[in-house]
Amino acid sequence: MNCSNHNLYQPSIAVLDGVRDEIPEVKTFYWHFEDPKNQVAFRNFMPGQFGMVSVLGSGEIAISLPPSPTEERLFFTTRRVGKVTTAMHALKPGDRFGVRGPYGNGFPMTDYYGRNLIVVAGGIGLIPLRSVIIYALHNRDRYQKIQVFYGSRTPKELMYTENLKEWRADTGFECHLSVDRADETWKDHVGVVGSLFKKPGVEMPLENTTVFVCGPPIMFRFVLADLRTMGYENRNVVSTLERYMKCGVGKCGHCCIGAAYVCTDGPVFTLEQIHRLGEII
Amino acid sequence: MSHYLTTCTFCGVGCGIYLETTGNEITGTYPSMSHPANQGRICVRGWHVHEVASSPDRLLSPLVRKNGRLEPVNWDEAYDTVASRLKEIRDRYGPDSIGFINSARCANEDGYILQKFARTVIGTNNVDQGTSLYRTNSVEVLREMTGVPAATNSIGELPESKVIIVNEIDVGQQLPTIGGVIIRAKLRGAKLIVVGARRHRVAEHADIFLYIRPATEAFLYAAMAKVIVDRGIMDLDFIRSHCEGYDHFLKNIRSFDLLLAARRCDVSPLLIEQAAIEFARLKPGMLLYSTGAEAHGKDALHAMVNLVLLTGNLGKRGSGIMPLAEHNNLQGGCDMGMLPGYLPGYAEVNDPSARERFSKKWNAKVPEAKGLDTTEMLCETGSLKAVWLDRHNPVVSAMYCDAGTALDRMELVVLQNLFLTRTAEYAHVILPTVAFGEEAVTFTSTERRIQAAVKTVEPPPGLKSAWEQVAEVAWRMGARWDFASSEDVLAEAASLVPAYSGVTHENLTREYGRQWPCTKERPLGTPRLFADGEKIHPFRFKEMSPVFPEEPEQTEFPFVLWFGHSLYYWLHNTLVQHSEVLKREYGILFLDYPDGFIEVNPDDAKSLNVRDGEKIRLVAPAGEATTTARVTAEVRRGIVYVPYFLQEVARRLRGGYKSVEGRTVHVRIEKAV
Amino acid sequence: MKGRLIHKDDIIRLVDLLRKDRRVIAPFEGKGRDSYFDEVTDANRGAVALHLPNPYYPPKRYVLPHIQKLFHISDGGRPSVLEIRDEPQVAVFGIRSCDLEGIFHLDRFYLGNTFKDNYYEALRSRLFLVNMVCTDTERDIEDDCFCVCADAGPAARNHFDLQLMDLHDASGEFIAVAGSPAGEALFSQTFFHKAGPEHVARRQNVLEEVRKRFKIATSWYSAATKFITQGGIKDSTWKHIGDRCLECGGCSYVCPACSCFTVTDRKTGPGTWERVRMWDACALSGFTRMAGGHNPRKAVHDRRNRRFFRKLGHMFIQKEFAMACVGCGRCVRVCHGDVGMPTVVEILRRETSTTEATERP
Repeated sequence: MNCSNHNLYQPSIAVLDGVRDEIPEVKTFYWHFEDPKNQVAFRNFMPGQFGMVSVLGSGEIAISLPPSPTEERLFFTTRRVGKVTTAMHALKPGDRFGVRGPYGNGFPMTDYYGRNLIVVAGGIGLIPLRSVIIYALHNRDRYQKIQVFYGSRTPKELMYTENLKEWRADTGFECHLSVDRADETWKDHVGVVGSLFKKPGVEMPLENTTVFVCGPPIMFRFVLADLRTMGYENRNVVSTLERYMKCGVGKCGHCCIGAAYVCTDGPVFTLEQIHRLGEII
Repeated sequence: MSHYLTTCTFCGVGCGIYLETTGNEITGTYPSMSHPANQGRICVRGWHVHEVASSPDRLLSPLVRKNGRLEPVNWDEAYDTVASRLKEIRDRYGPDSIGFINSARCANEDGYILQKFARTVIGTNNVDQGTSLYRTNSVEVLREMTGVPAATNSIGELPESKVIIVNEIDVGQQLPTIGGVIIRAKLRGAKLIVVGARRHRVAEHADIFLYIRPATEAFLYAAMAKVIVDRGIMDLDFIRSHCEGYDHFLKNIRSFDLLLAARRCDVSPLLIEQAAIEFARLKPGMLLYSTGAEAHGKDALHAMVNLVLLTGNLGKRGSGIMPLAEHNNLQGGCDMGMLPGYLPGYAEVNDPSARERFSKKWNAKVPEAKGLDTTEMLCETGSLKAVWLDRHNPVVSAMYCDAGTALDRMELVVLQNLFLTRTAEYAHVILPTVAFGEEAVTFTSTERRIQAAVKTVEPPPGLKSAWEQVAEVAWRMGARWDFASSEDVLAEAASLVPAYSGVTHENLTREYGRQWPCTKERPLGTPRLFADGEKIHPFRFKEMSPVFPEEPEQTEFPFVLWFGHSLYYWLHNTLVQHSEVLKREYGILFLDYPDGFIEVNPDDAKSLNVRDGEKIRLVAPAGEATTTARVTAEVRRGIVYVPYFLQEVARRLRGGYKSVEGRTVHVRIEKAV
Repeated sequence: MKGRLIHKDDIIRLVDLLRKDRRVIAPFEGKGRDSYFDEVTDANRGAVALHLPNPYYPPKRYVLPHIQKLFHISDGGRPSVLEIRDEPQVAVFGIRSCDLEGIFHLDRFYLGNTFKDNYYEALRSRLFLVNMVCTDTERDIEDDCFCVCADAGPAARNHFDLQLMDLHDASGEFIAVAGSPAGEALFSQTFFHKAGPEHVARRQNVLEEVRKRFKIATSWYSAATKFITQGGIKDSTWKHIGDRCLECGGCSYVCPACSCFTVTDRKTGPGTWERVRMWDACALSGFTRMAGGHNPRKAVHDRRNRRFFRKLGHMFIQKEFAMACVGCGRCVRVCHGDVGMPTVVEILRRETSTTEATERP
């Protein structure tokens, strides 16, 4: 993208089609570009990429893209944590906002052809990994065994419950769920996400496997420790990192970790790359 | 592009900075390399001062409250409204029913005109700076003991001091340029003694860190004096030539119990001894203090000045006492008479000859009775019916009164500011003023340097300087002042304040301002006071209280509450709120602790099983309050630090609004379920 | 040869010529040691200074302004792009070699890598750079300068359109070197005349003498680079450096090779905003704080660690073909706690020269 007539920082206008409540303080926003040309250009995004979203007048933030490029609709899912997300959560269908992107390196899904895929997500960490899962399912014959391990603190905090229902029903791959604390409706596994690895009947292939991990810092640490114990090599464990971003295009400097810019060299990194960044994340 | 050398208007250092303008906008800022105070360095606030100036969030027209809502009006209507209502209130309730409070960040011209208006047009001495609590004690103690209520030396002399005492101020945060000077002096071999109950950045560099319990400075410095006297290492030459009251002081200090003092301060007596010996032995020595000492009463100030006199540390390069003004014009506001008991130049209100002199010059009678201070004016049970606030935001910053309730009861609240503040909710008339860089006015820094802040761009149409707005109202009330510009205002002030008599706008902009006294005899100003042995009166020792009360063991309430004053001031500062980067930096604490916070030491937190960010309940004999704990290694064990903006929490734990000068409040900490 | 001579009295004619179709920025003396770049006008042209301390406010602001408007936004959510106006051509006359190296560094950063920054490009493409080589050891060069250590001076090898250098002999001649076709085109002017081999030799002599003037011997850069890349610096060292930092951001702001900025939307009226970007500094705590509270570089010593890793880390030098430090010395002057580049390099070198720097796992 090195054409100099292009304004790198100018967002394209998007129109909000609909809003869905996911879990408390988390909403999904369905949208499309006002200019159909932008819509077409954007569709080439890869799982793991993100967009810079402007709520005009409030500011601009980086938001992961949860849809797979193989799906129809474009949407974002975000939690309300700060100024811009608060403004975003107040938007109504028909409102306009700005989008730049897609940015970031994305997961190289074609590199994983022929491999087993294991997806481990915690809480809202499922948001970026949803794209990976749907993409893999839509290209099912390209991949070998697919396993999803997903957990949250409570049943009410499980994301994308409709997708979860579909995935549980699909016999073409495994989807294991867990919660830290159950309620009276929960009939399934209780425990941290990593405890699913030891669930009876769960067999996780070691060879020819890529493991995707995303979730809160504590979960991340424990899961990585589990994976290390189980023998997974760092170059086969991949995650998506988050940092404060102001430009999304590798210029403002805020997202830099060690020698890498999360927005252009990432946000997807293998564990091996993370260790070589030169800074503790 | 144009470059203007001007003075930064955040803190009391008064750094020299350049503003760069493009067209009619301020587009950049950078330090002056040759300015004697900062020499090429400024702090994060200075680096972003241009963002504030260019903020598009400004108030652009005056507002008058009609039917409960603030409505924009034209300037004439605004001034007419203020004038007629003031007249009405003055006639009905008397002149003393009206008060005037400005901010310690208002210019000299603003302060001078506001107090002149109060005294000659309204007829009251109810004038004060919002930060009255911070400095009234210092003004009075210094006048009494050294004769001059200001820093004795220039900042530029600090590198020559061989020993520096920093008392209870996070100088690296509040006046970073001076913090830097101190750190660099220490790196070059000066001995640094830090006294205080907070372990701040500069304290990390201390050779001797006297990590005392809060509000015990008086005991500490008295103990240090005792050590010096016992060992006979005081500067007798200096004392005999320049001081009086020494014999009384000596007798009094000899009866001091070092071990008891050490216990009360909770530091090792050996450390006190070591600090005392270093301060007496190494010459020259400088002592810097700030508002932390103010609120703890005059004893601490007496003790500090005594120590400086004892060691002969006045008059020579690198030796002296420096009260650090944390706001850019705290010093200037006092100099200009924004004090209820003093006229400009510290002439006393209750001195008939002073009143006579001013009455003659002003062609109006100066009222006799000393006025109310800020706390009294904004007291919820007070008698004020109207108040004029020049950039003061008491709803946020007033600590010892319920400003909101007080303002609510008033019939007229006039507010001058750049932006809408929380105090605006109680205002009847709001007059927006020009911003930094849009007017040529003067400020007086903590080293007595009267400096110009120059005009670099045109203000939005209609906006004027704060003093001009006061003059407009004065005109409508019959005053016939003739000030064509702020130069004229300064000229009049200079004619009444001897220490300013040699100052003009022109000569201030020629060099880097002038340090007062700047007179005919000293046309270039006075970098160092008492340099030629000249002084107002002999320096005076002050006796310490012979007995200090032994604090009873507090097992039920084991923690001491420490009410902060100026630390975290910038978090709520209006200008900071309107600069993108400063807002981000100073807003972090409010984002991390949205309901406010008190601070506790990590070891204490651990033993109480309290985590950072956890809700806790503080229980004092007088009351209790729930708040959030911020765990920080800066706070001493056994202390709970309460920032000034936790007004409600402070009120409950104190059992009211009154200051607790001299008394400590004890609490216990419980987890809030 | 692309070199000529120009007499010092004719240099103002060069400035006047450039002013015909450009805004010319040149250095002026201020009060005391202060100096600054400002626009040349009829009123001040006589005060353009040839030998003076390097202006403190870095000329990187001509390609990366301190505050810069990006575009307007209006209600209804249709942003309009603030026209990147065909700004007049600008010449920066008298830019030092260190600052030139800094601009080159920013060129690579903003115009290369994954994306090209159009705002930077617009400002950069209209710039004509006349480099003045530092030769006056009293006026041009100060104790804090160390461009020789960063290989960024005293005479830039390229990146200028025209380079002028005082030969410091009785003739009053400056030697001029063209660095671009635009620069070379000026040689047709009558005030440029031929230079001979003796002038080239004289130039060499002057530079050799000038190099002796530099006080700071930060050739320890290589040691610092090695140690910081290997991650072998003790935590206590960073803590000490952090204790000296008062978090003012000055080092990033004055640095010719620092490029970070933040972006904000500011209200300009009912229903309208402007999006602006402004210089930012990794020294500041909020630089990495994420909404939600997590701050990966909360402690000041982590931020100091970051700065020097960014400047000295091997990975960056490899990627950018240069160190992000040009030896201008501004960070030395601007720092409250004396932890500018030379001091820190010295601290890092000294603390690890007595211990084995260990390879990170």
